[in-house]
Amino acid sequence: MRLIKNISCITALLILITFISGCLGNSIMKSEDQIHIEVIVKNRIAPFWTVVEMGAIAAGREFGVNIHFDGPTDEKDIEEQINMVQRAIDLKADAIVLAACDSEELVDIAHEALSKKIPVITIDSGINSQKVKSFIGTDNVGAGEKLGQALVNKVGDSCKIVVMSFVKGAASCDQREEGLFKTLDMYEDIQIVDIIYCNSDVDTAENLTVEIIEKYSDIDAIVGLNAYGTTGAAKAIIEQNKVGTIKIIGFDSTPEEVRYLERDIIQSLVVQNPFSMGYLGVKYAFEAIKNEKIPNIVDTGSTVIDKDSMFYIENQKLVFPFTDGLSDPTVIP
Amino acid sequence: MSGKVMGLLKRIHTRLRLNSIQNVITLSFTSVMLLAMLIVSISLYHLFSDSAERNAVTSTQQIIDQVSLNLNSYVAEMMELSDIIRSSLTSDNFDKDELSDILNVTAKIRKDIVTMVVYSQKGDVIISNPIGVYNKNFEVTTQDWFIELLNNPANYIFLSPHVQRFFENSHPWVVSLCRGVTYYENEEPIVLVTMVDMNFSTIEQMCNNVSLGKRGYIYIIDEYGNMVYHPQQQMIYAGLKTENAIDALTREPGSYFDDHTGEKRIMTVKDVGHSGWKIVGISYVDELVANRKYFNGFILLITLFAIAFEILASFFISAKISRPIKLLETQMKRLETGDFDISVEVKGEGEVKQLSKAFNIMVARIKMLMEQIITEQEEKRKSELKALQAQINPHFLYNTLDSIIWMNENENYEGVSVMVAALARLFRISLSRGNEIISIGDELEHVKSYLTIQKVRYGDKFDYSIDVDSTLLSRKTLKLILQPIIENAIHHGVSPLNEKGIIKISVSSESDKILFQVSDNGYGITPEILSELLVQESTSYHGSGSSGVGLKNVNERIKLCYGEEYGLEILSEVDVGTTVNIRIPYNGL
Repeated sequence: MRLIKNISCITALLILITFISGCLGNSIMKSEDQIHIEVIVKNRIAPFWTVVEMGAIAAGREFGVNIHFDGPTDEKDIEEQINMVQRAIDLKADAIVLAACDSEELVDIAHEALSKKIPVITIDSGINSQKVKSFIGTDNVGAGEKLGQALVNKVGDSCKIVVMSFVKGAASCDQREEGLFKTLDMYEDIQIVDIIYCNSDVDTAENLTVEIIEKYSDIDAIVGLNAYGTTGAAKAIIEQNKVGTIKIIGFDSTPEEVRYLERDIIQSLVVQNPFSMGYLGVKYAFEAIKNEKIPNIVDTGSTVIDKDSMFYIENQKLVFPFTDGLSDPTVIP
Repeated sequence: MSGKVMGLLKRIHTRLRLNSIQNVITLSFTSVMLLAMLIVSISLYHLFSDSAERNAVTSTQQIIDQVSLNLNSYVAEMMELSDIIRSSLTSDNFDKDELSDILNVTAKIRKDIVTMVVYSQKGDVIISNPIGVYNKNFEVTTQDWFIELLNNPANYIFLSPHVQRFFENSHPWVVSLCRGVTYYENEEPIVLVTMVDMNFSTIEQMCNNVSLGKRGYIYIIDEYGNMVYHPQQQMIYAGLKTENAIDALTREPGSYFDDHTGEKRIMTVKDVGHSGWKIVGISYVDELVANRKYFNGFILLITLFAIAFEILASFFISAKISRPIKLLETQMKRLETGDFDISVEVKGEGEVKQLSKAFNIMVARIKMLMEQIITEQEEKRKSELKALQAQINPHFLYNTLDSIIWMNENENYEGVSVMVAALARLFRISLSRGNEIISIGDELEHVKSYLTIQKVRYGDKFDYSIDVDSTLLSRKTLKLILQPIIENAIHHGVSPLNEKGIIKISVSSESDKILFQVSDNGYGITPEILSELLVQESTSYHGSGSSGVGLKNVNERIKLCYGEEYGLEILSEVDVGTTVNIRIPYNGL
């Protein structure tokens, strides 16, 4: 009897051990499934977004996640962007990093993603939703304020200006205007002659600037609120031979803008940090997938540069995306 | 409460028989093996982790050494290139076209060279490759390094990664090697500055082609702690990643632990000649730990299996050892219940075999002794019965009663009453309520009664005397041992005599024995008969009229009761007399 009891005891022990070791083995061998994160931006090919992509890819490499980078070729193609988000949802992406073309139109599709337990992280341009909580990008109000300060520094506290805005209703647009006006309100002698909207199109901006110069020949400066507006204005200024007469205070640092800045066509630029947006967007998306707590708003910062300070070593790093020299996005063909 | 627990423990203890040989063997075996296994596992683990860490450090160092070697030769090549430019510039017959050709060829071969420029003292471009639209906004004369080289033309300066501003439309990130060149024209020293801009392709290749584990990497810093190369340079520049460059800068070449990112990392530092750069290799300790975890799991697995196996093995081994002992145990249990018809199969290991053998012998001996005791008891009963029978010998009774009748007819009433009283006393003591042991006093009383009766029968044929040490009267003795001797003395000793016979009875102590002595002055016994007296049934010798209980009976009874050293001793000399010595223990029951 006792023998049988002992044997059964030992058998039970053996089974237990096998079980434990099985669990142990599983936990050792277990490997994570490849996480897939969709990064959908406003414009797939514009230089600003290329740097965002570099950041996203760097983060993807660091955290070992698959990154699919996409976006319409035209920032106004909201429909296309909605389709891309839909496709990401259909592909069961683990998370979506979104730079919304429109702060209203993208809300529904973002909510659909959330309802399917796909975290949505917005970068650069957020959406008007209480549910999508995380936003990573420039503090646009602050950037607008810096833009105003740069204007005062370069043109003076007594001048006539035209504001070259981009898309009325876009969150970043409104916020930059708000910040700009906040600074300008402090200077009584700065007169805002007109606010025009270029719809994020260089040609439109150029044409509008030409019109403006004809209309208000005595303006001192044009303040561009994004890269398209600034570039278009600079082109018009060159075309109209007004370089130096009408100063340009602009936004972003596309290679073309940088070139204009070096040639003193543009006097000052407020530079964002697109690499950080891409990197942090993916980083927080990854953390959201792992159900970690992520911050609601992350300000990636903005810096004012001019012809001289752009080559300061700390600014070089912001203005010129680092490359190994073989594929140089700053070289304009 | 504690009592309950104790009780429970005790019950478990009894139930599991924790102190049985098998369990003791199993338990001690298991614990010893467990200890041994633990020691082995732990030392194995330490051995492994130590060597893993050492290996990691060594291999990292080897890799860094290799990279350093490559970088050194790369830097040396660059120096050579600037040497070529320099020697071309300083040669007596300097030909600009020839230098241009050299630069062209070099640029074609070396994809990592972005730009080669020779500046004049005033900052004008003397020659450049490639040729392009120079950036008018870039004034080289304002650059620190340019001023420094004009002042110390023998120097060379490595410029950390920066954006090249030489051409109008191109702003690649480069590292630069700048050198001053002095030559003399009309005895006047003229200083030129050469600049070679390199992209990161070669450096990146050198640093990326090595692997320091899955996540480890190499970065390069210059003598001021500026990042020359980092695999995530853009992240460093965007402030998303930091390196402990200042710490690395102050370190001598070697390996150090670094945890500035919060993770434990091994930082290996190595100098690169000429440039003042330092290569820093980073490898992650937790990758080793991941391996260690795997190894730990493995060790644990093996240990668990070994323990399981060991428990099983020790169980069977102890079962094998303890089985014959257990068999012995069950047999002994049977013995306890009084079953002596057992015998253990003699097998098993040496000691157990011996034990079984000894057990068997013991059981056999006990059995024999038991049988012996039974026989002895039986014999004792028989002899006693015989002794009792002797007392109520009908012949003796008839003679006695006959004497009483005879005395009665002669109106010797006093004699009658003495006889009857003696007879009554004789029988009372003979029976003595079934006790086998009586006091010496009673025994002597019995003898006196007997002698009283016999004296009446034999008249003045003999006299007797009893000499007793009065302190012995209360001592105990086996009953009815003197009467048969005296009967013999009367019948065979004194009655055939013509003169008066004398029977002397004495009781004395002789060391730890009590000695009864009965001596007569009869004819004595011939040696032939004497030698047979205590051996043969004495009935044949006595003939009718005797009690039928001989000396042999007395002798045997004493020996059965007290042991072999006690009993009868007969000393006799023909025509002189016979003495019978009876010895019993002083402290007899």
